[in-house]
Amino acid sequence: MAEFLSQLTSVSSGSSDEDYDRRIRDLITYLQQPSRASELSAASGYLLDNLDPYLHTLSYLSIFLLKIQSLQGSNKGRLPEQIYPGRELWLKAIRFLRSFDPFQIRYAGHEWRQLVQLVVQAAQAVSKPLLAVIAVRDAILRLDPSSEVLTSVHTTFIKLTLVSRSYSLAVPILERQVCHFPAVTGHAYQNYHQPLLCGEHESSTAFITDASGFSKQLTYRDHLQFFLYGAMIYMALKRWDRAHHYLSIVISCPVTNTVSKIMVEGYKKWLLVSLLRNGKLAAHPDVVSSHVIRAYQSLVKPYTSLADAFEKGDYQRLKAEAAQSIWRLDNNTGLVHQVIKAFTKCMTLKLGRTFSALTMADVTQQASDCSSLREVESLVASLVMSGAFSAVLLQSHNYDDTTMLRFSNPIKSLYSREQCARGRIVKEGRQLGVIRRSICQSNHELELSNEHFLFSQKSLRWSDNPGKGNVNALNEAAGGGDIEEDIMGDIH
Amino acid sequence: MDLPPLSKEQLSAVLKSSRSPTELYNTLVEYEGEACLMSTTDSNMSELLSLFYSTFFFAHLLTDQIYEARAMTQRMPQELSQNDPSLQNCLTLLRAVWQRKYESIYKILRELPWPELLRPAVESYETYFQEKTLKEVSHAYEAIRPATAANYLGLDTGAAEQGNPAVIQKFTAVGWVWDESTRLLHPKPIPTAPEKDTRLYDEKTGRSDWLNEEELRWLRNNRPPSPFNDGNV
Repeated sequence: MAEFLSQLTSVSSGSSDEDYDRRIRDLITYLQQPSRASELSAASGYLLDNLDPYLHTLSYLSIFLLKIQSLQGSNKGRLPEQIYPGRELWLKAIRFLRSFDPFQIRYAGHEWRQLVQLVVQAAQAVSKPLLAVIAVRDAILRLDPSSEVLTSVHTTFIKLTLVSRSYSLAVPILERQVCHFPAVTGHAYQNYHQPLLCGEHESSTAFITDASGFSKQLTYRDHLQFFLYGAMIYMALKRWDRAHHYLSIVISCPVTNTVSKIMVEGYKKWLLVSLLRNGKLAAHPDVVSSHVIRAYQSLVKPYTSLADAFEKGDYQRLKAEAAQSIWRLDNNTGLVHQVIKAFTKCMTLKLGRTFSALTMADVTQQASDCSSLREVESLVASLVMSGAFSAVLLQSHNYDDTTMLRFSNPIKSLYSREQCARGRIVKEGRQLGVIRRSICQSNHELELSNEHFLFSQKSLRWSDNPGKGNVNALNEAAGGGDIEEDIMGDIH
Repeated sequence: MDLPPLSKEQLSAVLKSSRSPTELYNTLVEYEGEACLMSTTDSNMSELLSLFYSTFFFAHLLTDQIYEARAMTQRMPQELSQNDPSLQNCLTLLRAVWQRKYESIYKILRELPWPELLRPAVESYETYFQEKTLKEVSHAYEAIRPATAANYLGLDTGAAEQGNPAVIQKFTAVGWVWDESTRLLHPKPIPTAPEKDTRLYDEKTGRSDWLNEEELRWLRNNRPPSPFNDGNV
């Protein structure tokens, strides 16, 4: 056993990335020898107790999975009881997912995903999905702190948080810009330039690829589900801006002839969230073509009718629309109830566009369905206090005089405008940073495209031209203007 | 990550050692999995679970995560929440906070029986809520009757209506102006700290900026010397 241990702990950071990469690959070869499997499996208890999940990530993971395989026996689909929550292997698995080495793990994508799935299944087997949420989230962020590449594990994780109602635990993932799919491998040019997995990379697309195993083959459904579930989490947290953004991604998904059911579901929620966020329907995203919008609208008639009643301020019609059974069938009852509740707020806000000040009696008459003046005052006060709109209240000493609502306190508006502007600048600055990194990444990828490779080959041929000597072809290619100038020189 | 096992002593130690509500929340998040695996049929375990979920509930409120607090009450074992008095009190408080029923909130915090271990968290929340409301009222009203203001801040509304100098003094101490002729208070907006740059990526975005002051206050491990909580008015 001690001999195994010395082999399994042989990997440590080498003097260079190349050296480290070679050592890791040697270890993988050792671990994958079929003859070793039964020996390592027999010693798995001792080895797992003596290996460190961070220092010996690959060995630990391999031994762990061998142990699971031995417990499964011939039935590979069976989930061993030893990995059920609270049991010994569960604790080891959770510890591993929260402390593995993010560089070594890049060589074991399939195994990493297998372990994540085991943990998720085990939590689901005892009907406590919450137990897997933090471990899976930490595993995703350890592997890729930017979480910029969408994987099947992302979709699994978001679904898990939704089912377990642990919404805020999903926010660290959802707040990041998920903007890539796993990079496609297999291009000829990639044989000439393969980055070392254990090296530092600007983007995680360098190691999360379609062949890395970190994700199963993604379909359009996985992509849409991630954003739809993400929007549902933001809805639960009543962060309507983010929910709207996520739903906009769902409804903007490129289509050829028809829209998918998930997109229609997304569109229904998008309409309701628009009302909750803006008090009116938002304009469709520019990227959605008109035929897609027509397709949506033909499928969601009750929703457009409800939105129309809301926008026109017809409370009686709104209530009649809300009484339909379609909302329950679509699982949108909660959102529709919130739309009804938001009606008074929106109507009061609209009053602010016409009047600069009103008494509570006027507000009751113009914008509210509440019967008592006291109720209206309490509602409006809570809206002003929560910052839902910019206004101030003025009470009079006489209890018979109703409170005055004055819109747009100039001093407060200036302050809040400055705060909003500052927030927007910071946010947009960060988004520009993401775009900048993505552009750099794209440029990097473009240099490795087939076209560039062919151009480089041509340049190499030109370099064989005796007039050009042994000038670096790529440098020539980069300074293409020189070639152009030579040609022009001949003409003149 | 490797925390000591969940126990009453450990819970008490966490409450005492947490340097801020955020730290308390982050520690308790880690314990939720362990709590999830405990049995509610064992009476000792039930007591511990009740304390854990009650403390976790207040950690949500102290970090201004009202929606997540509601989700947490749906995650805890339902047989426990339906029968445990402390958790029932938490649910009543949640309802009052959700509906912004100020009078009820203070009444629940002050008058309902809370376990001794939970007392510091309950008192911290009362201070937190009072200060949060003070800021909101000072921005929302240009003129306010003393009784209305007293209702928002959990003070004696009868005494405020009579213009009791002790009550009025509490408001003038935070910069509000008392107009004797109209018998109205004129709140002075309390500036909020500029938004932190990290806020955009902060998972607890519902938090108010002024919580930093609250975090410092938490360090003192005592109720802060605010004009609204030092007397019996």
